[in-house]
Amino acid sequence: MSENIIILMLGVSTALGAFGLVALLWGVKTGQFDDQNKFLDAARYDNEEDLKDAILIEEKKKEALKKRKENSQYRPAD
Amino acid sequence: MAKVACTHCNLEFDKSVMIIEKDREDEEIFFCCKGCQGVYHLLQSEGLDSFYDKLGDTTLQPAVDYHDDLHKFDLEGFYNKYVKTTKDGFCEINLIIEGIHCSACVWLNEKVLHKTDGIVEASINYSNNKAKVVWDNDVITLSKIIETIRSIGYNAYPYDASLQEERANKTKKDYYSRILMGVFGTMNIMWIAIAQYAGYFTGMERRFKDILNVAEFLLATPVLFYSGWIFFRGAYYGFKNRVINMDTLVSAGALSAYIYSIYAMITQTGEVYFDSVVMIITFVLVGKYLEVLSKKHAVDTLDSIMGSMPTEVTIITENEKSLVSIENVQVGDIIELKAGEKVVIDGVVTSGDGSFDESSLSGESIPIYKQEGDEIRSGSICLDAVIRYRATHDANNSLLSSIVSLLEDAITKKPSIEKLADKVSGYFSFVIFSLAILTFIGWYLYSGEFEHSLIVAISVIVIACPCALGLATPMATLVGISISAKRGLLFKEASFLETMAKSNLLALDKTGTITEGKPSVINASIKDGFEPSLLLSLVETSNHPVSKGVAKYIKESYTDTQKVPLEDMKTIEAKGIEASYKSRKLLGGNVDLMRKYDIEIDISTQYTIFIFAIDNQVVATFELKDTLREDIKESISLIKDMGIEVVMLTGDHQKSADSVADEVGIDKVYAKLLPDEKAKLIEDFQKDGKITVMVGDGINDAIALAKSNIAIAMGNGADVAIDISDVVLLNEKPMSIYEAYKISRRTFRAVKENLGLSLLYNSVAIPLAISGFVNPLVAALSMSLSSLVVVGNSMRIKLLKFDNK
Repeated sequence: MSENIIILMLGVSTALGAFGLVALLWGVKTGQFDDQNKFLDAARYDNEEDLKDAILIEEKKKEALKKRKENSQYRPAD
Repeated sequence: MAKVACTHCNLEFDKSVMIIEKDREDEEIFFCCKGCQGVYHLLQSEGLDSFYDKLGDTTLQPAVDYHDDLHKFDLEGFYNKYVKTTKDGFCEINLIIEGIHCSACVWLNEKVLHKTDGIVEASINYSNNKAKVVWDNDVITLSKIIETIRSIGYNAYPYDASLQEERANKTKKDYYSRILMGVFGTMNIMWIAIAQYAGYFTGMERRFKDILNVAEFLLATPVLFYSGWIFFRGAYYGFKNRVINMDTLVSAGALSAYIYSIYAMITQTGEVYFDSVVMIITFVLVGKYLEVLSKKHAVDTLDSIMGSMPTEVTIITENEKSLVSIENVQVGDIIELKAGEKVVIDGVVTSGDGSFDESSLSGESIPIYKQEGDEIRSGSICLDAVIRYRATHDANNSLLSSIVSLLEDAITKKPSIEKLADKVSGYFSFVIFSLAILTFIGWYLYSGEFEHSLIVAISVIVIACPCALGLATPMATLVGISISAKRGLLFKEASFLETMAKSNLLALDKTGTITEGKPSVINASIKDGFEPSLLLSLVETSNHPVSKGVAKYIKESYTDTQKVPLEDMKTIEAKGIEASYKSRKLLGGNVDLMRKYDIEIDISTQYTIFIFAIDNQVVATFELKDTLREDIKESISLIKDMGIEVVMLTGDHQKSADSVADEVGIDKVYAKLLPDEKAKLIEDFQKDGKITVMVGDGINDAIALAKSNIAIAMGNGADVAIDISDVVLLNEKPMSIYEAYKISRRTFRAVKENLGLSLLYNSVAIPLAISGFVNPLVAALSMSLSSLVVVGNSMRIKLLKFDNK
């Protein structure tokens, strides 16, 4: 058996694991595990509607931001 | 008549009282009130009626109309206090939503908020009903948002998340991430290490060993420096204060093993011990995390107490009263305080006099009498009379400073056995550290081999790492607290389990604890001159269960009663209430109250008596009987079997107390006690060396509760009682008291076992390590094993059987 095989096996498997770990850490950091019940209920009530809702909210936020930007641009210099 | 369920809230009422209408399919639908009807139609028109499918059989609170206080949400002071501005320039607030029963409620609230214009983010936590809302202030105002939530039948009030919760959450998340890293590293290193162990015994080529070493090194480095950062920080603070603590030991052990392993890896000699490094860090970190978790739990409980604080006060300006939100009160304003209200702003009394309960501030539980010129402090409660006072601080300076420090105090308290363990492990760390250095010097002089001496010294540190000692208490108490929480028992602090386990006297309040606390009239004798309207108006001023029982009786027996305005209302503790109506003196209360006004009365009954007198003439007497709580007799006999003395304290008269005591099997009865006499008795018990657990539910028990070693409050008792109690019985079952004893005794036993086990382990393992029989690898394994033994032993608490289902 050559060293390269061992290195490859160790490297790939650890990298895969690390990828999972990073995803998990990101989830923790962005508060996705803050609410246990929500986590479980989301699986129970999973539907398209919620997804649409999420998009709606995101778009609303974008729009509000855009409007805010426009407003600040049009503000006359005093 | 048939009972039907309200279409909105699912509560069942008589068909005759319901609002009936036809829906689109021409079927009859019912509503219990206008509020529910309104919400139903709103949801229909918004296309949100799938709410009712999600709701299932859950019942809701009927929708209520709130009085108009919306303007206060847009006041500047309110904004400064609760509203934060996000990076994008939006406004953000944390709300507690009232009336959430199930996930369907959360769904509805989120849905409605999402649909509202101007709201850019809304998320509600299912577990604790806390919501975060972000909105654009140019489009919608906060009052509009609150109004929206109210329009669908819920209520929302803000809370200051920055106080406690955010911090607690942050530490929790921080620990969680570090543990994830630790567990990841440990698991991966372990499977590499298994190859190493196999190679150690069966032989392995050097080149493969090198690869494995490097892989372990790569995995161990982030674990040591990211997950282990907490220990380095702790060790650094310890070093600054010149104490050697557990952190010093952990970081020294891990770091020295790490450095030696790098040396072994580079020089390609000997074994590496990266697996020991990650195991030490990960295991001790998990132990610390458990401690953090229990603190977070306490914070959640306390937030709701903060939420119960009034948000507005009555201000007097040129003899005109107005409700002003507390943020807008300025120093110098005159505030009016009614009986039973919580003080939220510090001040000095300008007119009126009355007693104040300051127990939640000072622990001094006897009500303090205040008159003109006396200072009153926020957090205290006005017990009787109406008082006006001048504000001397604004809300931010009075409320927060006093209460927050109080809450923080409560959270950071540790059980005394854990404090002892911390102290011991401090000394222990120092001894081990010296032992390790001595071992190293001894072995170096003896054998002259640097490497071997270092390995033995590291083994000593690693094997002695007081994980087990550190884990012994938190592990057991955590398991204890979690099973009690599952059974409806909320221990506010881990230390209470210990005190409870040592207790040998249980004092029970009669009304509300042994009995349901809802007495009903069983016998009434009415004389000439009785006016039901007067009595009803009088008893409705009081929240005492006897008054409520009498009120209920009058409402049922007389139909033509109406409320009349009373003056000079006063509550006389443990005696009754008095008031006047058109210069006629009204008295309602027990025999003592009558005696106080020299009214001779001769009644002897085993039931509770309520006497009503107009102008010192007795016009009616009522006998009330209270029903016993379910299972009270069984639980008292079970508690007695544990060797605990059970006594009863009550403000009621001897006869009715005796009859109840007889029924439930209590031998010692103390009757006719005023609130402060109850407290005095508790003190006397304590002087006799008893560790006292007191169970009560009302304001009249508050003093005694505060004095007792452990105070248990019934879940729906008075706010004050719950405030100062150490344990809350959510399900109000007497059997829970017995369970609390059982769980706490079992937990305390486990703590002692754990401490014994870890000491035993250390006394065997350390001499072995010093004499060089153990290499660091075995040391780390046996150390983890000792921790696992402690964890396993604590888990045994979960096997505790309860006699009842």
